[in-house]
Formats: sequence, structure tokens, C-alpha cells
Amino acid sequence: MKISGSYILPVAPERAYQILQDPAILAQAMPGCEGLEKIGPDEYRMKMKVLLAALSGQFEGKVRITDHSPPTSFRLIVEGTGRIGFLKGEGLLRLSPADSAVAASTLVSYDGDVQVGGTMAAVGQRLIDGTAKMMIRRFFDKLASLTQEAKSAN
Amino acid sequence: MIAQKFEYTAPKSLDEALHLLASGAKPLAGGMSLIPMMKLRLAAPEHLVDLRALKDLNYIREAGGQLHIGATASHYDVESSALLRQKCPLLTETAAAIGDVQVRNMGTIGGSVAHADPAADYPAALQALEAKFVLKGAKSERTVSATDFFVDAFTTALEPGEILREVVVPIDDARTGTSYQKMAQPASGFAIVGVAARVRVNAGKVNFVRIGVTGLSNRAYRATASEKALEGRTSSPSDIQAAAALVAQGVDANSDLHASADYRRHLAVVHAARALKAALSRIA
Repeated sequence: MKISGSYILPVAPERAYQILQDPAILAQAMPGCEGLEKIGPDEYRMKMKVLLAALSGQFEGKVRITDHSPPTSFRLIVEGTGRIGFLKGEGLLRLSPADSAVAASTLVSYDGDVQVGGTMAAVGQRLIDGTAKMMIRRFFDKLASLTQEAKSAN
Repeated sequence: MIAQKFEYTAPKSLDEALHLLASGAKPLAGGMSLIPMMKLRLAAPEHLVDLRALKDLNYIREAGGQLHIGATASHYDVESSALLRQKCPLLTETAAAIGDVQVRNMGTIGGSVAHADPAADYPAALQALEAKFVLKGAKSERTVSATDFFVDAFTTALEPGEILREVVVPIDDARTGTSYQKMAQPASGFAIVGVAARVRVNAGKVNFVRIGVTGLSNRAYRATASEKALEGRTSSPSDIQAAAALVAQGVDANSDLHASADYRRHLAVVHAARALKAALSRIA
């Protein structure tokens, strides 16, 4: 399934590039993330708990970052498996200065492919698209609020 | 498959139910979505609190010029209510369009809206009716509007530990026409797209219109662009079509194996036109 969209983060592209690869910030922003642990250069082990409606599932997986091109783009590769299914995703994130009234802001556009399998996909096919969109939106909303907090703390 | 082991409590009062929720139990309000998920082991709650055991949450009554529907009123209760048929036919029509007979006998209005499946039928009608939702917590009670209640897929304004107590809808005067039109997914009965319309006409002009849409995106919403386009216009076919054309404007449509995003948008326009036409034809 193709996934694409964009989001505006209230920081300059250099800073946005940094926070999008900061495991401590990512761990807080990813919905249900219970830990992100570095296992190699640009490679992390991830534990995630998905709570959606009555569905609850734990996933373990890996996050990898490749094709570094600061501060304009990088590739994110996510893999996870759990009792109720698996997911694999790969996407290119592009950063550019956003055309906005806010002094420093960045347009993050993403373009990727996600595969979901197992029981979760067999019975929840009609819900995958909407759920993916919701998770991505929650991630960026949280990221934006984290960067705001960091700003006001400074 | 058989669900994992779980505790089951049929509480005697709403307070007892709230107390159990606070200690981590999950509410069961018909189980037409939850039980299948438990059988597939996609969900494994340790403790269920059966809200249908609360008989004092099962009512449909008129009070203070509004209609109050208790959370555990089944879809069949709504569909067959003489009071609603007379004073809020949009709800009876919508309830009758849900799933199948078995689902309508077991499923409840509170269970359906608190679950907030993006393809559920009630949310379209409740948006068009500008319904109010009464949420009861351990300490207090609050009322939220439909616009604020439906937040995202499976996400509502309900906080952990809160129970939806009742849904409140207005009583429209006889000059109001309503209709719910849906494209049902044949196997599940869920709405691929469903549109509820509520209109009033005065001196040949539409002077009030509310349109609720479900199934198209993650949450049921009010199609305000269509509403604005129709208000003050005549109810000619071209006016209806022009308003319906805006029903999916600015909406992030979902896509699945039943319907692509573009097809869903198309269905929304078609069903908005049908709902408006039917609603206008029913004005007394």
C-alpha cells in the first residue's frame, strides 16, 4: 500500500532533520513506542504497543535510516512483527523550508510503501489505510509539540 | 477460534461499572465488534464489564423538548421505537440500515458510537442531527457535541474510565425532511459511504440543511461546504447536484480493497444527492 503526505514542523530544516533522527525524541513521538535502542550505526531495535479500539498488539522490530542527505532527505525503513501480524515499510522523507508565516518551519513530505500481513491484515484490511494515516498524523503532532516544548524550555 | 480467558462482570449499577473500568476493565455494550476481535485474538481484554446488564441505561424517551436515547438501547430498539419514528425518523431509518437482524438485536447505539468505527452508520445521522453525547466519569458528567465527539478512527472524546451514558437528539418540526442513504459492503453491511441529510424549506428556498457523512474518511463529519452551497437556494436538481458535488471537499478519503479513495469520493457525491433529494421529498 502506498502512503504519502506532508506535514509542517515548526523548526528550521536543519533542526527538523536532526530531530527526525534523534532516537530519544522519536521514541516519545511514535504512538505506542515503548523503547528504541541503538544496535548499530543508524539502526535501532524498537518495541511498540499498538492500542486501537479493542485491538491490542505488541510488536518488535527494527528501524533503519539510509540515504542520508542532510538537511533535505533520508530514507526510513521499518520492520515489525507481533502475534497479530507483521508490517514492513519503507519511505523517503524530504525536507524543505515551508512557505509559512512562522519564522522557521519545515515541510516534511513522505512517500512510501507499507505492507501489512497476518491476522491483523486478513480481518482488518478495510482499516489499514485509515489507521496508518492516523498513526502518522499522531507521530507528527507529537513531534511538533515536543519541538515546541524544547523551544520554550530554552 | 475461541477467545482467551477473561473475567466477566454484569454490574448492578453505573457506579459499579465505572469503578470496574477504573481498575482496567473493558466495557462490553453488545459485542458485535469486540467479540469477533476477541475470537480472532486480535483483542484480549482481561476483564469485561457488560453494560447491557444496566437496565437503566436502556431507554428512549422525550424530555425537555429533546429525545434521550440510553447507551444500551439496541439498534432494534431504535429501529422499532414509535416515539423516534414519529419525532426523529432519521434515527429509525439509520438503525434499520445497520448490518443484519442479529447485529441489530445485540448491538447498541452506545457501543457503536463509542467504538467509532469509521464505517459505522449512526455517526452520519448523529452529525446531521447535531446530537449531544453525555459522558459519565467517576466524579462528574459532561456533554460534548457530535463535532467534538468523533475524533478519529476508533477515537472519540471519551476519556479512559468514562462511559457514554446517553445520546440526545433534537425534535424537529414537521417541516423537516430527513434521509440516510448508504452503499453497504455486502458481507459486513458496513457503509462504504453513508450520507444523512436533514433539510427545511421555507417559501421555496432551503433555509436549513445539515449533512453528515460516514465511511469516507477516518471520522464521520459534517459536510459544511455542501450545506453552505444549498442554504438559501431552491431545491432544484441542479442546486442539489451542485451542493452534493462539494460533499468530499477537503476530505482525506480512505482506500481499501472494497473501494479506492476516488471511488469513495464519487460514492459520497452520489449518495449526498440521493439523501438530499429523498429528504426534500419527505417534507410534509
